[in-house]
Amino acid sequence: MSDEKIKNETGVAGTTETEAAKAESKDRETEPIIRIRDLCFEYTDKKSRFGALDHIDLDVEKGEFVCILGASGCGKSTLLNVLAGLYKPGSGKVLVNGKKITGPGPDRAVVFQHYSLFPWLTCKGNVLFGLKSGKGKHKYSGKERKEKAMEYLKNVNLEQAADKYPDQLSGGMKQRVAVARALALESDILLMDEPFGAIDPRLRLELQELISALSVEKQKTVIFVTHDIDEAILLADRIVVMEPAKIRSVEEISFPHPRKRADLIRNGEYEKLRLKLTSAFYDQLQDSIGGEVVL
Amino acid sequence: MKKVKEFFSIPKGCLLELILMVILFGVNEVLAFTMPYYSVHKAYYDGGAYGVVLILVLLLCFLRLFLTKKKSAVDLGVILFAFFLLWEVSYKAGLVKNDLLIPSPEGLFHVFVEKHEELIKDVKGSINLLFFGYLLAVVLGTLLGLTAGWFGRIREITLPISNVITLIPPLMFSAYLIMILPTFRAAAIAVIFFAVFWPTFQGTVTGVGRIDRKVIEAARTMGVSNVGMLFKVIFPYCLPDIITSVSRSLRGAFMCLAGAEMLGMNLGIGYFVEKYKSLADYRCVLAGIVTVGIITTLADLLVGKLRAVLIRWKD
Repeated sequence: MSDEKIKNETGVAGTTETEAAKAESKDRETEPIIRIRDLCFEYTDKKSRFGALDHIDLDVEKGEFVCILGASGCGKSTLLNVLAGLYKPGSGKVLVNGKKITGPGPDRAVVFQHYSLFPWLTCKGNVLFGLKSGKGKHKYSGKERKEKAMEYLKNVNLEQAADKYPDQLSGGMKQRVAVARALALESDILLMDEPFGAIDPRLRLELQELISALSVEKQKTVIFVTHDIDEAILLADRIVVMEPAKIRSVEEISFPHPRKRADLIRNGEYEKLRLKLTSAFYDQLQDSIGGEVVL
Repeated sequence: MKKVKEFFSIPKGCLLELILMVILFGVNEVLAFTMPYYSVHKAYYDGGAYGVVLILVLLLCFLRLFLTKKKSAVDLGVILFAFFLLWEVSYKAGLVKNDLLIPSPEGLFHVFVEKHEELIKDVKGSINLLFFGYLLAVVLGTLLGLTAGWFGRIREITLPISNVITLIPPLMFSAYLIMILPTFRAAAIAVIFFAVFWPTFQGTVTGVGRIDRKVIEAARTMGVSNVGMLFKVIFPYCLPDIITSVSRSLRGAFMCLAGAEMLGMNLGIGYFVEKYKSLADYRCVLAGIVTVGIITTLADLLVGKLRAVLIRWKD
């Protein structure tokens, strides 16, 4: 798989394509922050091609929290990687703020499942790296930047670990540093690829509630990829359920923010929603393996 | 105060060995000062140098014991002093007659007193050569290694070339380098450069190849450019690999240094050994070898310390 992936990655980031921007500028007022139209993506190698995304359309409004829910291999991570600019779309277009994306950039912060912290930097150093890469590059003086870094570490309750190196931290702590580093880019958009998948359940809930509160507080637009139905309900304004390569259904979630798992479980709506999503999720699983699965 | 006490504490169960070590040291020290030495050449040594060396060895053993808190430090001391005692006694008892080939302890260490000016001059000369050759090779090797490691096409061009050249012992080049380079000094630097450059280059390329793709991707999503990646991400990430190959090639550099100097320099510790070899003064030859041992050990320690400081994050 990795060989196929490399082929599709964007190389050196090109120039911004203003053509698309011009065409879209007419209806800038109503423009969503992310617009995906007719997006296709294929993994190819010499022998075979595998369509990971097939004519995807999706709009995300500013400040919205969208969860992309699906089983492994359904293309949800591929979609996120295309949004991040790490993979180049096969066909169709992906617009961010009305501009076609041409590669990765600090306007879209990404949190990966495997932390991907810089091991040679302390926690604070990692967050500072974010501050120096993003909007804060010219905005802050050196001293302000340091204060800002501590502030972001405080946001994720890690100010006491500021001078530790990533290898000295537990998985949950590492992921919190990764979140702080992503926040430090001060981008409007936050892309998260199963960020809590490798974290033990109790800590996961803590982190979910943290990210839910932070996204509201910092007014972020979040695209959050997960295969955990409860996680999606807890976090999302809208859940996009994916079946292999396609969007199966979209579900609006109207529980008020910030949400707490304990409150949700008592809500009757929650159970209904959960059932609905579960059936959508597992029907799709049955479809893909021929309906012979016993659950 | 408590810290001081802790530093000087001695691990349990090595008191007997410790006493034995100190007794051996004492006996050695007494012997060193009792009778003056007469060599075959009737040279007279007053017994000072060997006595000082014994004290230094004792201090080093204690330092090792206090720093590591391992009993083996004492064992090492016992063995060293036993060896010195054997060496010393075989002279005092008249077992070794030919002190031209096998010098007495005092005879050997006295060279450091007699010839200290010459030794210092030669050591300086060697370090000077080493400094330029080594530094140049490390800086260039790292820079080119990073570039070749990161840009696939450059890597595929340079790696086959370096694979062939690394296998040729650098000293072999010296036969030719001496002819084409204007001075012996330049030739010696070039030989050291060859000995260090290629391992550093290859170590760096390998280090870059082993880099975690996820870290690179994370950096790319943060908008780090292709060239910025080289210095902001890849260099610090590969620093442990680079330092490992740098410290490994330090030994190679010394080997070539000595070899290059023996070939025709008129300065340097290799030249010192070569000169006294032709004068059949093996006392000085041995002293030169001991000097090289001391310098290499010190340089090794220094690089080790540097490594510990630079890659704190590794553990």
